[in-house]
Amino acid sequence: MTTSHEGPHQTLAIVLAGGQGQRLRPITERRAKPAVPFGASYRLIDFTLSNCVNSDFRRIIVLTQYESLTLQRHIRQTWNILSPEIGEFVDILPPQQRLPNRWYLGTADAIFQNLYLLQQERPRWVLILGGDHVYKMNYARLLDAHRRHEADATIVCVDVARSEATEFGVMVVDSRRRVRAFQEKPPDPAPMPDAPEHSLVSMGIYLFTTEVLVRALVQDAKTPRSTHDFGRDVIPRLIADHKVMAYNFHSRSQPGPPYWRDVGTLDSYWQANMDLLARHPEFDLFDESWPIRCGLGNRPPAKICVSTEGLMGVAEQSLLAPGSIVSGGHVRRSVIGPRAEIHNGSLVEECILMGGVRVGKHVQLRRVIVEESTEIPDGTVLGYDPEIDRKRFKVTESGIVVVPSRSPF
Amino acid sequence: MAADEQTDTTSDERSTIRVLFVDDDASLREVYRIRLERHGYHVRIAESADDAVRAVHQERPDVIVLDIAMPERDGLSALQEFLDMDPSLPVIIHTAYPAYADNFLAWAADAYVVKAPDLARLFEAIEKAASGRRDG
Repeated sequence: MTTSHEGPHQTLAIVLAGGQGQRLRPITERRAKPAVPFGASYRLIDFTLSNCVNSDFRRIIVLTQYESLTLQRHIRQTWNILSPEIGEFVDILPPQQRLPNRWYLGTADAIFQNLYLLQQERPRWVLILGGDHVYKMNYARLLDAHRRHEADATIVCVDVARSEATEFGVMVVDSRRRVRAFQEKPPDPAPMPDAPEHSLVSMGIYLFTTEVLVRALVQDAKTPRSTHDFGRDVIPRLIADHKVMAYNFHSRSQPGPPYWRDVGTLDSYWQANMDLLARHPEFDLFDESWPIRCGLGNRPPAKICVSTEGLMGVAEQSLLAPGSIVSGGHVRRSVIGPRAEIHNGSLVEECILMGGVRVGKHVQLRRVIVEESTEIPDGTVLGYDPEIDRKRFKVTESGIVVVPSRSPF
Repeated sequence: MAADEQTDTTSDERSTIRVLFVDDDASLREVYRIRLERHGYHVRIAESADDAVRAVHQERPDVIVLDIAMPERDGLSALQEFLDMDPSLPVIIHTAYPAYADNFLAWAADAYVVKAPDLARLFEAIEKAASGRRDG
């Protein structure tokens, strides 16, 4: 056995950051889903990249596709922290389009189109990650398990109640956690051998022994009618003649049930942000043993102050990013992005304000997501009457109002 | 020629196999064209990767025999494009360098044949690839 850090150093982590995030529209209209702001100071991809670096996986490729400018800029500015001279990197790679007019057809195709990268790097293992999930995970433990079991592929799974598993890819495993079958969004999910009320669902995180991955990708590329997706196409075929193991995700450093969110919809995005506000949240941004890196290095602190009109600014149960100002406004149970301002007599309740949003005077916002750099004029009221709001903005099923960037009022 | 007698396929069957032979070396192209035709295949020639891509667009062959080391664009990059055009199109890598077999990009080929004076292995690979097509 090699020493503990050698495994991670012989692994190439590939972050699939090309998702369009259709269900998060309009906030993914001008940015790829991994670039969506989250938790006041972060963007979604920061969680995956922090996991990589905290786990000592320092050879990282981010594959982008749609609307990747914000994402590329963010990664360049925030993640320029590794040392290329000793073989560490975070490289951002848009599609090379070596094939004419061709985007990636699926997650497996994204890697297949970049096979030359694997040839160039020749890692022993390849870790495949999504760039848009919120969780903390030590990938080194995953690699240890993969090697211990002499697995060809290891799939990271989380156990959920069987009734909730119908929306996911479910792994059918034996008592040793070897994957025997795969069910895509099954009406009747297979139970776990030792927990009949739970099912193991895939988190879309895969660790492969490199040669196995390359052969599987080639086979997939040659399979007619394949949708070129890891979960749907590659893994199910691999199970038959390879050792595919399930690895049960346990949250790092936090007791209790593991926290993992794919913030796929506007409602789940809003909820996951609100989850952060508890005194002891399930997902703790203040956990010093597992720092999450953000891109807000040189900014002044958040300020809560009395307005010129003499009203005291108030912020309760909220996250405020550096550079934000609450001047005579009242912020309650909200997530406030960098350089956002809330002015005299305004009430902002259960809202997400992204960076640079300016809320004028005597504004009332309740359960509103406001995108970056939007100016909310004095006296605006949003979130109190869905019928009125719907005429101007998207309102979700649960009543969250979404104000796109720089909306005119 | 001894090699001509070594494969099980009849000459009638061979004449239905359309081979696209890709190599940047003009004299090699001519030698192979003659020997492949003499063996009974229907042979077309391409002198570069891009030339081969154009040829496949014009008329789909049954098998591509593809050199790797070519100026401008190498065979490995063309291989991915062939696969993208038609995943069931068989490609045999045909190179003077055994070491390319270790290259992940070469793993997408159906066979890997090192150039040799005796063409028995190449014939075998062509017929195996072509029979896969007919059966499929």
